[in-house]
Parts: sequence; structure tokens; C-alpha cells
Amino acid sequence: MTHRKARAIAYGVSMALCLVATGKGAHAADPPFIALEDLASASGAQIYSHICQACHMARGEGAAGAGHYPKLSGDRTLASWRYVALTVLGGRNGMPAFGLPASPFGQHLSDVQVAAVVNYVRTHFGNHFRDTISVTDVSRLAHPTARPEF
Amino acid sequence: MAQVAIQSVRALRSAHPLLYASRKGATMAQHESEPMTRRELLRMIGLTAGTSAMYQAMSGLGLAAESPYRGPIDLQGAPRGTSVLVLGAGIAGMSAAFELRNAGYDVTVLEYNTRPGGRNWTLRGGDRYTELGGAMQECQFDEGLYINPGPWRIPYHHHAMMSYCKRLGVALEPFIQVNYNAYLHGSNAFGGKPVRFREVKADYQGHVAELLAKAVSQSTLDGAVSKEDRERLLESLRAWGALDKDYAYVESIAASERRGYLRKPGGGLSGRPVPSKPVALADILDSGLWASIAAGDEFDMQTTLFQPVGGMGRIGEAFGRELGPVIRYNSKVVDIRQDGHGVTVTYEDRASPGTHQSARAQWCLCTIPLPILAQIPMNVSERMAAAIAAVPYASAVKVGLQFKRRFWEEDEQIYGGISYTDLPINVIAYPNTGYHSAGKGVLLGAYIWGLSAMEFTSMSPAQRVQKAVEFGSQIHAQYPREFDNGIAVAWHRSPFTMGCFGAWTIEARAQHYESLCRIDGRIALAGEHASYLNGWQEGAVTSALDALARLHRRAVAEGAAA
Repeated sequence: MTHRKARAIAYGVSMALCLVATGKGAHAADPPFIALEDLASASGAQIYSHICQACHMARGEGAAGAGHYPKLSGDRTLASWRYVALTVLGGRNGMPAFGLPASPFGQHLSDVQVAAVVNYVRTHFGNHFRDTISVTDVSRLAHPTARPEF
Repeated sequence: MAQVAIQSVRALRSAHPLLYASRKGATMAQHESEPMTRRELLRMIGLTAGTSAMYQAMSGLGLAAESPYRGPIDLQGAPRGTSVLVLGAGIAGMSAAFELRNAGYDVTVLEYNTRPGGRNWTLRGGDRYTELGGAMQECQFDEGLYINPGPWRIPYHHHAMMSYCKRLGVALEPFIQVNYNAYLHGSNAFGGKPVRFREVKADYQGHVAELLAKAVSQSTLDGAVSKEDRERLLESLRAWGALDKDYAYVESIAASERRGYLRKPGGGLSGRPVPSKPVALADILDSGLWASIAAGDEFDMQTTLFQPVGGMGRIGEAFGRELGPVIRYNSKVVDIRQDGHGVTVTYEDRASPGTHQSARAQWCLCTIPLPILAQIPMNVSERMAAAIAAVPYASAVKVGLQFKRRFWEEDEQIYGGISYTDLPINVIAYPNTGYHSAGKGVLLGAYIWGLSAMEFTSMSPAQRVQKAVEFGSQIHAQYPREFDNGIAVAWHRSPFTMGCFGAWTIEARAQHYESLCRIDGRIALAGEHASYLNGWQEGAVTSALDALARLHRRAVAEGAAA
């Protein structure tokens, strides 16, 4: 058994214990760092708190400096799941595309991950959109095809 | 699927300036179903035909070209009183302002930060840094210790940067890119035990030389190598791979001269050397550590590289001193408007929030990072606006760690240079200065990019430092005992850049690059994003000088017409 598998199993066990102990689920046990290979099977909440939170912040509040990161709470454009999913896949105004082929400086999320995080964002931070989407919905959308230079 | 993608990422890693090495586990097979990028192609050429072939191919593709810098820019004949507004006091903006002022232009620079330099920046003890989201860190390093959160090395052929260091009196010292005594580490390689760079390189090279020598001896290569060249090739393989008289790579003094001895030669009765035993080819290949050995062969990583004495920030500080009151700090640009005669820039004085001021000039050189510029109202052509919105910035995180003593020198004889790992921290880079100093020492404990960088960015600064210590402990067992304090800069949380550097795609470059660089009315853009040297200061300077030369011609023409 590899280290990584052992770690993943250990993590699974600790998660299960945690569920029993707190009844709160994934969030309570969310470790600060998840290995990329484990992130592939992470929940929408974890993808948000480990990736999106980098810019959109822990409560979707965004941030402002010389420019700003848009807040996700109470953002009307979230009403359209297509808009949100296409934004994650293709990027928008400085937000990197997560649907590009992987590259050293890039960031690639699978359709499963995109669907999970879109559903998460649209049902948290004061958003209550009921129409959750499936991986098939994401797969049917246009994906960016550009090739990173590096 | 994601893991496959990550591994192909690793296969590309050695190719980029800010990166050093591919990680273990790279496979080329994954690329068969994908269109091959230039970098992949180069890497394959490098793997199959050696680095000199790769260099030739790179030159052919225009990638390894020398910096276009050919000495100080000539801006003679500036029309009297012509004004230029420069936005951003980073390397691009300040090199431009410096030249414009020297040429007699009336220059003003607006800068968001309270310091000059932008990404040219050094964090030292006592410095405070507040990132987006409000987390404030105060650097706790001892006197004289620092990290460079942004650029940290200057290749000798970055002529413009070298020239400005000389002109500004910024002292340079060597940056150690390759250290044969630093480590290569793979979490699943050799039981997770780090291996000296020297050993992996010697063994990889020795075994490859032996294999090739066998092929030559068995006439397998007859079509490719003439009879006369056969002997020469065999001889060269012996020299290159430290082979024995039978062209074998074996436990020997010759091999130990490359990979190191079991017992080093010394003086007197105890001085007889004992050779070390090479690691088998299959184990070297299986370890994946070979992927990092060509890092110093990249054009941008070739000896000699430099760093300013006292930190990279010395360059920005020197420009700042030189320009003095030309720079208006604490100025947040909120609107850029041009008309037939000039450009008006509205900015907020951050010292008194809500107070808007304006500055006006005949021309404007804007070096504001694109993620920010994309949000500032500006009346430029649709083409330029589209170009500005087309380039997201790469994610990167650096973590500086202070330890109670320089154990890497005292215990492990690592003096400067870089260890590589497949852990998310990617590297541990040792200070290239202050060797043998008593007291504490600071090293770069992580340089992270891609999704892992976003993960680190999502953490609190304290968590980032803690994880860097945790991962680094797998390479240096001294970490937990000797750790003192740390500081972490996540570039997507940087209020003044919102990212690390322009990450172009091949398609965006083809569609938008010219529109980004071409002067639009009275506005020109510059910065590393407007260059083919993304992430390098040389890209920032050469883009600024390129734009400046064109602005100057227009200003002169307009002056003559008036």
C-alpha cells in the first residue's frame, strides 16, 4: 500500500469517526490542506474552501484592494447555473479558467468538481437556488480549448 | 483524471523560468492524445536528444533568444514640457519613469502601495504586510535576514536588469541555482529519503552513457554514426559518464569522482578513499528523480545568476530613491480617460479614503497588472479592452522560514542552492549569502503554484507556514526542533497585483498580444504581462522600453507638428 492510499484511508476513517462524534459532516473535519489526488473526490464545500476561497474568501464576501474580488453572497448572476459553470470553466475578467487542460501554472478542475462547487456556491452564502446540476450538465457546456504556454 | 492531468503537468515543469524541475512520476504517454505544446515538444527533444539539441530547437522557435536589450534607451529630442503619466511604480513603471525624466519629460508616477517596487520586494524583520481579506503579518526575521516573495534571481543575460543594477549602484552576488550537494526528494522514491543531486545526476548520466556505448559497440547505431565518429563517440561517452575502460558504469574511483565517495580521499594514514556504489539504472528511473537534473541547463537558469545583496527589493528601493517625489504613493487609480490631447487619471488618496484627485498628462504609460486594470474604467479600443481581459494571472505562494541555526550548512553542508521535492512545497531554497553566520537563518520553505498554490492561498498565513514546516520536515528532520517563525505571501491575495504574473495561452497570445502592446490613442501598456518573458523582471523592463520608444516617436512627431 502506498503512503498516499494509507493516508486517504486514514483520512476516511477519521472522517467517519468525526461524523459519529459531531454529526456535522465534512466541514468539521476539513483539513487545511488536501493532497491534489484526494481533492479529485472532494465535496463542493471542500473545493470551495480549498480553491475558490483563495480569492472569494471564506464566507463568499470577496475582497477589495487596488481591484476587487466579487462577493458571491447575494450575487444575482448566480441565478443562472450556466453562467456560474461557464465562469468556472472559462474564467472571466482576470479569474483564471478551471476548465483548461492542466499545466504547471494552471488549475484544472474536472466536470464533477465543477458541478459540485457550482451547486455549493448557489446554495450557500445566502444563495438559495434549488436547481442543482449534474456532471452531465457541465459536460454539455462549451469547455475552453486554449493551450497554456507553459 | 485529475491525477493524470497533474502528472502531465509535472512532465512540463522543468521548462519554465520560475519553475525548476519536473516532479517524479511524469509520463509522456499521456500526451499522445493531446495536441503537443511547444514546451512539450522541447522537453521531448531534450529527453531524447540531449540539452544541446533542445537548445538549438529552442533557438529555432525563438524561445531561448537573448534579451532584446542593447544598452540604455535613446530618447533624444523630447519636446519641451511634454508630460507623461506612469501608472505603477514597479520595475516597468520605474524604469520607464527614470528614462523619461532623464530625457527631459515631465513625469508623474502613481503608485497604489506606500513603497516602490511592486513585485520587486523583500520582506525583512519588522516589515508588515496585509493581504486581501485583512490578514496582517509582521515579519519576525532577525536583522539581515529576508525573503523575496516575488522575483529572486537575475540571469546574467537579462541585460536590461543587469544594466539597471549597474547604473543604480545595486550590488550583486551570485545566486546558486545548482547545488550538487542539495537534495532531490520524492515521497515514494528511495523510501522517501532525500538523495544528493550529485548522486542522481552521476548515476543517471553514467548508466545512459553505458547503454549508449553498448549500442555503439554493437553497431546498433551504424546508420547514424560514421565509422570515424564511433571511436570518438565512445571516448566521449566514457568521459561524459565516468565509465571504466570497458565502457561500464561501475563502483570505481572514476564514478565516485562524480557521485561522491563512501569515504572521501584525505591526508595521511586515514586518507585512502573508498568508492561508493552507484544506484542501479532501474531504481534511478523508477524514482523519477531524474526529472529534476536538467533544471540548471535551462537558458534562464544557466550559471551565472545573480541576486542583489540584501534582497531583490534593493532594486525597487534604488529606483524609488532616484525618482523621489516623482512618485505619488498611496494612490489608487479608479478611472483612466483619454481625449485628443491627453489622458486624465482619477485616483483615490488612500490616506484619506473617498478623496478623489486627478492627474493629467499628454501621454500615459500604464503598468497596472491586468486583473486590476480589467476593472478600471478606461476608454480604449475594444481590441485593447479584450486583450486586457484575456490574461488571467498565475497563482503562486512563497513561504519564508526562520530557523534557530543554519542546520543545512552545519549538519548537511548545503551552501545555497535548491532542493527539489514532489511535495506541494516544490522546493527548499537555501540562502545564497551569509554562509557560516552564527545565529538564525532564513530559507525559502515553499514555492508553490497551480492548484496547490490556490489551496495554500485559501489557508490563513499561519496555516501556510505550519504546512510548509510539516512538509519540509520530510526532507530535513531538524525542522520541528529548529523552526523559529515564518511568513507566507500568496500572490492571489496581494492587494496590488491580484495574482503572480500573466499566464498566457497560445491562443490568447495569437489573438490579443499585439492589441495589448500597441499604443491606443495616448495610452500604452507595459509590464511583464506585455512580454514573452512572463514572470521575469526582464520582461517588465523590456516591455516598458519598447513601449517608451514608440511613445517617444509619437511625442516627437506631435511636437514637430505643433
